[in-house]
Amino acid sequence: MADEHDQHSITYKTYLMTWFWLLVLTALALGVGYTNINEKLKAFLLVCTTLAKILVIAAIFMHLRYERINLILITFTPLVLAVILFSFTFPETLGNATHLIRVR
Amino acid sequence: MESSIAEQQRILASDWGGGKSPFGTSWSKFMMWIFIISDALTFAAFLITYGFMRSISPQWPKQTEVFNMVLITFMTFMLISSSAVMAMAVAAARAANPKLAVRFLFLTILGGLIFLGSQAYEWTNLIEEGARLTRNPWGVPQFSAAFFVITGFHGFHVFTGVTILAIVALRAAMGKYSADGVENAGLYWHFVDVVWVFVFAFFYLL
Repeated sequence: MADEHDQHSITYKTYLMTWFWLLVLTALALGVGYTNINEKLKAFLLVCTTLAKILVIAAIFMHLRYERINLILITFTPLVLAVILFSFTFPETLGNATHLIRVR
Repeated sequence: MESSIAEQQRILASDWGGGKSPFGTSWSKFMMWIFIISDALTFAAFLITYGFMRSISPQWPKQTEVFNMVLITFMTFMLISSSAVMAMAVAAARAANPKLAVRFLFLTILGGLIFLGSQAYEWTNLIEEGARLTRNPWGVPQFSAAFFVITGFHGFHVFTGVTILAIVALRAAMGKYSADGVENAGLYWHFVDVVWVFVFAFFYLL
């Protein structure tokens, strides 16, 4: 156990660089948010920047890069389950559920 | 006989073999990961419900007209920075340097408190403008419902994180810290940051 921990003593410089890249990605997301493009393309680009950010945070800040493959795989199950939940609910939005929302 | 024992040990040491520590972590870190997974699903349910309501709604308020985006960007910056400092606190704790770890933890807590303060300010402004859980001046009632529930749950997580970090920092200052304890608190803190990345992108920017 102890030598396993010694392997991933990442330097402070790595964390500073990670912080810098996270800020770059945040700026990119802000840029995407403020441009007037097609809603669907915007959603896709935001999904991309968000996925990039969470992968960087999970891999480096949460040390997932240095964990065993089985732990890495179980941490990504919620994403898979969320995609399933998403694909169950979203066909409903194609016109079946509009009566649920009342706009004043 | 000799070779079958060696074979058994090889299987137990492999990633899916079972063995004494199949995930190669301490039990507490593994439990923290299990908690994070379940909590991530809670937030996934919130965000998917929000997406559902938004896409069946004939209109949705423009976020830039409702929110102070400079404040939101500042809050995002604070949370990402505190996450980076937290990672350094874990590194310091691993390197058996409790003094440095406490300093980094203090900065992390400060970032969390600034975030919470900004959020309290944002909530106060919106409530003064007439936003409630069931109604708001911008047309779609679900807009403020989603806002208060999602940012409220996230803010509560930040508050919990600050409390946990304060306890860990206090214990580290008293010399009663373990590197695993700091790392587990750190995992939780990074998770709170991850949730905010989602909220920032899909609630405020999309």
